[in-house]
Amino acid sequence: MPSTYAEDLARILPETVLALGACFALVADLLWKGRESRRVGTIALIAIAASVFALLRQEPRPAIAFGMVTVDGFGALFKVFVAATLAVVVLFAHSSRELPRHGAGEFYFLLLSAGVGAYFLVSTTNLLLLVLALELLGLASYVLAGFAKGDRRSAEAALKYLVFGAAATGVMLFGLSILFGLTGSLDAREMASILAGKAADPASGEAVDRFRVAGPAVAIAVVLAFVGFGYKVSAVPFHWWAPDVYEGAPTPVTTFLAVASKGAAFGALLRFSAALLPSPAMGEGAAAFSGKLGSLLALISAVTMTLGNLAALRQTNLKRLLAYSSIAHAGYTLMGVATLEPGGFETSVFYLFAYYFMNLGAFGAVIYFARSTGNEDIDSLRGLGWRAPFVSGCVVVFLLSLVGIPPTVGFFGKWYLFLAAWNAGFGWLTVVAALNAVVSLFYYFRIVKALYFSPESEAVFHHRPVPSLAAILGLLTVGTFWFGPFPETIRAACAESVRFLF
Amino acid sequence: MGWLSSIDVLTWIVFLPALGMAAVMLLPSASKRAIRGVAVLVTVLAFALNLYVYVAKFDRWSGAMQLVTEANWIPAFDIFYRVGVDGISLPLLLLNTLLFALAVPASFGIERGVKGYFALFLLLETGVSGVFVSLDFFLFFVFWEVMLLPMYFLIGIWGGPRKEYAAIKFFLYTLVGSVLMLVAMVACYLDAVPHTFDLLKLQELARNGQLDGTRLLHGGILLGLPFQTWLFAFLFIGFAIKVPVFPFHTWLPDAHVEAPTPISVILAGILLKLGGYGMLRINFPFAPQAFQDAGTFLALLGVINIVYGAFVAMAQTDFKKLVAYSSVSHMGYMLLGFAAGTTWSVNGAMLQMLTHGVSSAMLFLVVGVIYDRAHHRDIARFGGLSQRMPFYFGLSSLGIFTSLGLPGLAGFVSEAMSLAGSYEKFPTLVVISVIGVVITAAFFLWTIQRVFLGPLDEKYASLPEISAREVVSQAPLAVLCVALGIFPVLVLNWQMPAIETFLRLIAPK
Repeated sequence: MPSTYAEDLARILPETVLALGACFALVADLLWKGRESRRVGTIALIAIAASVFALLRQEPRPAIAFGMVTVDGFGALFKVFVAATLAVVVLFAHSSRELPRHGAGEFYFLLLSAGVGAYFLVSTTNLLLLVLALELLGLASYVLAGFAKGDRRSAEAALKYLVFGAAATGVMLFGLSILFGLTGSLDAREMASILAGKAADPASGEAVDRFRVAGPAVAIAVVLAFVGFGYKVSAVPFHWWAPDVYEGAPTPVTTFLAVASKGAAFGALLRFSAALLPSPAMGEGAAAFSGKLGSLLALISAVTMTLGNLAALRQTNLKRLLAYSSIAHAGYTLMGVATLEPGGFETSVFYLFAYYFMNLGAFGAVIYFARSTGNEDIDSLRGLGWRAPFVSGCVVVFLLSLVGIPPTVGFFGKWYLFLAAWNAGFGWLTVVAALNAVVSLFYYFRIVKALYFSPESEAVFHHRPVPSLAAILGLLTVGTFWFGPFPETIRAACAESVRFLF
Repeated sequence: MGWLSSIDVLTWIVFLPALGMAAVMLLPSASKRAIRGVAVLVTVLAFALNLYVYVAKFDRWSGAMQLVTEANWIPAFDIFYRVGVDGISLPLLLLNTLLFALAVPASFGIERGVKGYFALFLLLETGVSGVFVSLDFFLFFVFWEVMLLPMYFLIGIWGGPRKEYAAIKFFLYTLVGSVLMLVAMVACYLDAVPHTFDLLKLQELARNGQLDGTRLLHGGILLGLPFQTWLFAFLFIGFAIKVPVFPFHTWLPDAHVEAPTPISVILAGILLKLGGYGMLRINFPFAPQAFQDAGTFLALLGVINIVYGAFVAMAQTDFKKLVAYSSVSHMGYMLLGFAAGTTWSVNGAMLQMLTHGVSSAMLFLVVGVIYDRAHHRDIARFGGLSQRMPFYFGLSSLGIFTSLGLPGLAGFVSEAMSLAGSYEKFPTLVVISVIGVVITAAFFLWTIQRVFLGPLDEKYASLPEISAREVVSQAPLAVLCVALGIFPVLVLNWQMPAIETFLRLIAPK
């Protein structure tokens, strides 16, 4: 039944609200002559809250708006994820000193626009909209990464991000165009059903499984398309930008890139993979292809986590260390994707939520530490654990969770991934991932060592954390602890959401 | 208060220290007396409850799991909160609560960060107790990991000069063991039909040959080796690191030497036993055939531990390091006893865990006393201390003689039982390990001679005698050294039925 224009508009209300909020923030800053950056931030928060409210009021039945926006529970879950990250990023921006005093309007405008991009990214199987959303998210992010205008590193970050982004998106577009050429459709679901049909064999003219004819081209196209996703989630070998960009960008922006952007890209990857997953109807070749794709993803996953962890061992800058750690975590998350099964996808989604708590917490702590010590070196944290017991205590919890030690949410997330990967036949990947956890302990706990074991450094200037930052860190700590032993609420939501994909 | 009594006693024993930790966290850091008071209260209470269970609630004629409580935890993965004790875990649990209660007064000398110290200390107790009572693999693993962080901080913050190195080394080694165990756990869960983490059910499946990996690997074979062999190897390395078994022992001397005295006591007294306990509860019963096949290899490792540990201990100049390596040697008897798998050898090995828990705890306290006074532990620089501290000399000698296995004291019974029980299976190896017994006697006697006998150095002429607080920590252990030597049945009668059950689980088909 075709829906009316008004119904379609209502379905993208969350996105609309966020976009309107972005415009409001920009205009309000102009009206307040750039003097009220906090109030502009509040507008952004209100817009985020309103969009979540709109999300929660959506009818649970899946629907398609304008023929290309899929509105379903999966998208809703990821949009909540993005919105929750955005809210924290706004609050981080309040407590960070890296952002220039002026330009709050532009900052929040770009941030919310990136949010809109992320929203659309997770809610479409239409490849055109997928690329548009990716570009919207990307363009806003490039500018955000360079937002600390006087800082050379920030400018370098923006440029690097842009160049890598352009290349990756180009390759992805090439892959998608092959898919379009093969099927004549822009919708991944439609493509799958077309590929499942029959086609004439070019040699004999008989009708054979279309996949048998088009298989190699599909394989190339899918792998090329993966480059775009791999770049966004910073999977090896498309991860080169991440350390420089994470280090150079202002910390709130880094947080956004590491959590919201990466999460949304994973959401899109899951939806894209599920839609295009070769079905048994495509014949034998498709099953073999699917198996190879899974193995390829598993291999990328293993390489990504290993490389991320090994490279992190030598880092001395906190943000750079977290960048490599974030690469490693992309590798863990890919374990669930590689299974190419609903059960595995579910674990990836869960891991993203675990990642939300522990990584946001870690970045929040970086903001606090940068203010206390004036830089982001691990070495200058020496002895801070005794002077700033609250933040340091929270950091220990986040790091434990990042390593994956019970009873934190990070442990449960890893365990869940291990189970799914092994269940899908990737026992070796489970072993690799488990050993990786040991490697990661070493560098994460260098931070703990600096905080607690080393004699105090002179340069430390202790201040009380800004109340909003302290509150966020407290909440994230509670979340990290609570959802470890009691993961059922999130786990059930993840399982529920993934069902919409298949 | 009805709900309070509805919580079973084992849960209380496990979580009382955690409650104590919460209380300590709420107290201001300045009120050191109150913090220490809370620590004394909860550890003593936990021990009292445990003693009550040991004496009054536990049916010692039964080899079955007792006082079992079960509650749903994560139903989606068949994970339960499931606790219970049998004759293998209960004596170890009792040793654990006792040592923690005794380590509290030994910690009163710590002045820096008292609040953090006791909070972590009590968390550690919850972790260790939890491991001993867990009947669910997942729960077991969670408690196993909960121990890591407190230990890391306790060594890293309150430790000696090379504490940072020792702390991270301890953490890394143990985590390697943990992840191997984690992998084994995932494999067991996926292979079991129906999926379960219930340790007893998994033991039963393994006993019936149904934990063979056919649901995970093609034909249950990986790289030419059967699943059971892999399972055994992963679990064994995981637990062997904790014991520690040669060649995974190198973290132990570092951790021991750097840790503060009470933490060394806990480490030697109880944490090492977790490895042995894990072998009895999980490793061997989960892969009985592989265990039978690996028997000689395990015995060989045990003998290496005994002899090598003793020789290395003899070469030490640091009193604490000497005791640490003697622990390595003593754990060898345990492994040898396990490997032989006879009624007597396993009973002896189990008893060895307990007597070593008592004697090594005592020896570390002894070292702590002298270190607090002289501020060094160099054996060669002492001499004639018996003249200044006769009472201390008496206690130390008791600990040392127990440790070297003097008949009439606790160590003798357990060592003799493990060696005699193993003789029928590994006569040659037992004869070789007797070298270890001789060397142990030699280095301990030599230590007594160098530290306590001979002329008194002028520097030490003013050392005060052992204080009442220190005696409080050591006296119960001294009593046990004698009591277990004369009445080993105090433990044997409790553990024997459970060990019979264990032997049935690992018996060859």
